[in-house]
Amino acid sequence: MPALEEALLLVFDPYVIAVILLSSLFGLVVGALPGLTATMATALLVPITFFMEPVPAIGAIIAASAMAIFAGDISGTLLRIPGTPASAAYVEDAYRMTGKGQAELALGACLVTSAIGGLFGALVLAFSAPALAEFALRFSSPEYFWLACFGLSCAVFISTDAPVKGVVSLLIGLFIATVGIDITAGYPRFTFGSVELMGGVSFIPAMIGMFAIGEILRYTIAMERPVEAVHQAIVHVFRGLGRVLWRYRTNMMRGNLIGVVVGVLPGAGADIAAWISYAVAKRFSKEPEKFGTGHVEGLVDAGAANNSALGGAWVPALVFGIPGDSITAIVIGVLYMKNMNPGPTIMLHAPELLYAVFITFFVANVLMMPLGYAAIRLSRQILHVPRDTLMPVILIFCIVGAFAINNTVFGVGIILVLGLLAFIMEENGFPIAPAVLGIVLGPLVEDSFMTSMIKSDGNLLGFFERPIAAVLGVVTVLIWTWVIVGWSVRAWRGRPSPMDPETAD
Amino acid sequence: MRLNDAVIGIVLVLFALAMIWHTRTFPAMPGQDYGPALFPTLIGIGFIVTGGILIAGGLARRRTEPWFAGGAWLRSPHHVIDFLAVVGGLLLYMVVSGWLGFILTSLLLLFGWLVLFRGGKPISSFAIALAVTLVVDYAFSQLLLVPLPLGLLQPLIY
Repeated sequence: MPALEEALLLVFDPYVIAVILLSSLFGLVVGALPGLTATMATALLVPITFFMEPVPAIGAIIAASAMAIFAGDISGTLLRIPGTPASAAYVEDAYRMTGKGQAELALGACLVTSAIGGLFGALVLAFSAPALAEFALRFSSPEYFWLACFGLSCAVFISTDAPVKGVVSLLIGLFIATVGIDITAGYPRFTFGSVELMGGVSFIPAMIGMFAIGEILRYTIAMERPVEAVHQAIVHVFRGLGRVLWRYRTNMMRGNLIGVVVGVLPGAGADIAAWISYAVAKRFSKEPEKFGTGHVEGLVDAGAANNSALGGAWVPALVFGIPGDSITAIVIGVLYMKNMNPGPTIMLHAPELLYAVFITFFVANVLMMPLGYAAIRLSRQILHVPRDTLMPVILIFCIVGAFAINNTVFGVGIILVLGLLAFIMEENGFPIAPAVLGIVLGPLVEDSFMTSMIKSDGNLLGFFERPIAAVLGVVTVLIWTWVIVGWSVRAWRGRPSPMDPETAD
Repeated sequence: MRLNDAVIGIVLVLFALAMIWHTRTFPAMPGQDYGPALFPTLIGIGFIVTGGILIAGGLARRRTEPWFAGGAWLRSPHHVIDFLAVVGGLLLYMVVSGWLGFILTSLLLLFGWLVLFRGGKPISSFAIALAVTLVVDYAFSQLLLVPLPLGLLQPLIY
């Protein structure tokens, strides 16, 4: 396979490997620090990747996100504050293990299951993406329309407890996507005479605003500042680990599988994968009463799941251009800027890029063992990085990053407005992920809808005339019917409904 | 800063009405039933429906949920100042960076934020602000070739 060889040469280039190593270190530090998430790590990397070739740019994002998801376990175990939301599901168990003097075992289990989970996700990605892409080559605009709708529906219904708030978030994202020159008629919408807005709300400043500025604003209002890390000697990270992992080998496999499946579903990423697999582990455990008291079993399941979800999320992102989670939503934006439009044709136009993604995933997860071990050994120093100093530095970085995309301060305005928007949304229980998917998929939904309408001469049934489109359309319509009927029935019976945000919180 | 869902619902409905009213000025596409106004109108209808549901739910919980719950941080001047400093700093950057130039603006903002967040320590704050500014300036304007504004320092550099 010449493409595979080319991809190997592209990835094992000294410059690319250096980028992967540096981004890994960056991801480990950002992930380990509470308040800085894996998505924020990705958003902060984007302005720099803007100036790189596609392969190092993607390599940087893959490495940083994988490391950050693992590193979130470090502060969860030692501080009881999950470093990223993906570690929240099992933070209680991890921290109580530290209380029992088992911090080494907890961190070791997190590290090894993360690396194995990541490799499993990479395997699934490598084997499923090319086959799916071949299938997806038969897709035309109605299929893409339904696929995007299906993706957005999943984002709304999976990522939140309160679907109404998920829908609002999605609509906000779709609205932001309509700003600028409209695709079909070339009419400037919602620009109010501003030339800057004609090109639309730039993607990179939007991501920096929603993920970085929003989080910094939350940091400034946090009432309690972080507690001291537990002082416990952490030396023998791998001692006794083999026995534990062998005992829970089926758990690890199950976590891997759940992670990949949840990752593939649009809108649900590593954090939801961890919650689901932790719940499944508890449900099928022989000793469910031990969960939450410092039991390693749930850590094995969920630790594997959150990293395998990362690989899973890339499957729909690369094959269909539909992001599996917020990180791949950012990736899709980056690919578009590099004129490497994700979708099945990427297999025809740039197969080496696809292989480079697979290889980088393997490299990053293999690197996770030594680098993660080093991070665990240095955890006390990393957790001592003063966040009061770090936050202003991140802010100035956000400003320059937003400026650098179009070389105007207008980008700074975007990060401020969307940062405030994300802050208010989070404070009031509106999830951010559907909005981000709306921003990314909005143009695709509208473009494929208008193209299909023009093709079928305004006949709405044209969306169901092709077989694959019909299946996708029926499934999407069924999901909405099921949710709306279910909600109406519960409302009719006067029971608390999941559509009601209050009872669902 | 938690608002009652009804308040958010009202804001959404008002926003949607303004938006739909505005889309009526969009031109139609000749020979097509659907034009640039279609998607914004659909989004607006979506806002009205979801806004309505939020209003209904919010009103039903009116007794237990106030219109506006500020949260503890709004009563702590220290937290409010930190929050406003971030927002104000970004605004300040937009206004003065072209005239002052990146280096001076960044130095000013970083110094202000550092002193505020760290509770004093002006000397070390200034040292950190200077170091970070020079590193960021070098990385972006020399390595990535981003034309960061020189501003007042222009005559000194050239």
